[in-house]
Amino acid sequence: MTIDWWTLGLQTINALVLIWILARFLFRPVSQIIAKRQAAAQADLDAAQQARSDAETALAEARREAARLIQDRAKVLKHSHDAAEKAMQHQLELARQDAEKVRAAAEEDIAKRRAAADAEMKHQATILAADIAGRLMTRLPDEARIEGFTEGLIQSIADLPDVTRDGIGVNGPIPLRAARKLSAHEAARIKARLSEVLGRDVEISMSTDPDLLAGLEIDADHAILRNHLRADLERIKAELTADD
Amino acid sequence: MDNPLTLDPLFHLGPVPITAPVAVTWAIMVALALFSLLATRHLKLHPGKMQTVLEGFVTTIDGQVRDTMNRDPAPYRALIGTIFLFVLIANWSSLIPGIEPPTAHLETDAALALVVFIATIAYGISGRGLRGYLATFAEPSWVMIPLNLIEQITRTFSLIVRLFGNVMSGVFVVGIVLSLAGLFVPIPLMALDLLTGAVQAYIFAVLATVFIGAAVGEQPRKDSDPKNKEDMTP
Repeated sequence: MTIDWWTLGLQTINALVLIWILARFLFRPVSQIIAKRQAAAQADLDAAQQARSDAETALAEARREAARLIQDRAKVLKHSHDAAEKAMQHQLELARQDAEKVRAAAEEDIAKRRAAADAEMKHQATILAADIAGRLMTRLPDEARIEGFTEGLIQSIADLPDVTRDGIGVNGPIPLRAARKLSAHEAARIKARLSEVLGRDVEISMSTDPDLLAGLEIDADHAILRNHLRADLERIKAELTADD
Repeated sequence: MDNPLTLDPLFHLGPVPITAPVAVTWAIMVALALFSLLATRHLKLHPGKMQTVLEGFVTTIDGQVRDTMNRDPAPYRALIGTIFLFVLIANWSSLIPGIEPPTAHLETDAALALVVFIATIAYGISGRGLRGYLATFAEPSWVMIPLNLIEQITRTFSLIVRLFGNVMSGVFVVGIVLSLAGLFVPIPLMALDLLTGAVQAYIFAVLATVFIGAAVGEQPRKDSDPKNKEDMTP
């Protein structure tokens, strides 16, 4: 057995060269791509970890924001509740004032209506009284409807100032209205009493007015003298109305 | 059949005789170089089938080195990987008619063992320092120095002889059977040679790893650090 030293040397060189070739063109690129993939995977893992960390941070921030929103909501609700309560109190006050106004207006209206009703009632009562008086007068003797009022009329003339009294019947007959047609006797007696109170002879012109109910009325130039039941009722009515 | 223990030059390059193992080795080198260039031309982060096979091969080599040496495999990847790949292809080159495996000749096996021997010493000195490496010959006691020195030689020779014996015998047996029986009779033996060739390539690579690992000693790996995973191949 012999060793071919040339072959041994060449094969040694070949082995070294082959190691270099494969190291350069096979193992290095493949191991580099493996390392690159591992680095990429590690980068992905790091990115995922970072994303997870960011997500957890964002979640914590969102939770803080939610808590803050809840607090703000509570504040807004309280503020709104207070504002609503204030507005409600204001509206209630306005409503109460309006109600007071309405009630005052209603009371005023009621008072007016009541006053009108009272006035109407008094008016109706006056009418009723006049009617009653008229009906009652029909039960009295006709003489009483004139005689009972004659002296009152004479006294009224007597109570007049002299100037006024002197002017009555100067320019003509004294216009005398009676509740009914006067008899000649009654007319003469009244004329006599007028001449007596005036101090001179006077003439009278007679007229009849059933609305007087009972009594007499003189419509002179300077004075109107009433002494009849209608005038009394009117006066009573005026006094009642004045009482209100 | 030619005597496998003798080599006749195919031609001469000047004074240098070029024998068949050298020529076949050159052919294998060219094939591997071309394959490497083509296969690694378009490596991507999303690998194709070929890239997956290559990455699987490299990862397996790394795993074997890591498991055996308990160290970062990057500095040893090219040596161990190249030895395994070359021995495997050289052993399987016998399938090509007319081609005799380079590893069936003592010079090729000796060259490979010589590379491993030198690499063992170089890595040992690199890893431990000259004094540290020499101190390993006195372990576990200075009495063991002669035996350790002899072991360095004998285990290298065992690498040579184991590979040479297995491959040469396979080729020799196939040649004898072929000459005696006929064309298709040696096929089972050739299939057995495929298995033997793969096993011998694995054994040669693993033993080289064990020798280098024993020379550099164990060291806690830092594989978790991505920087240590970069290619540190010389």
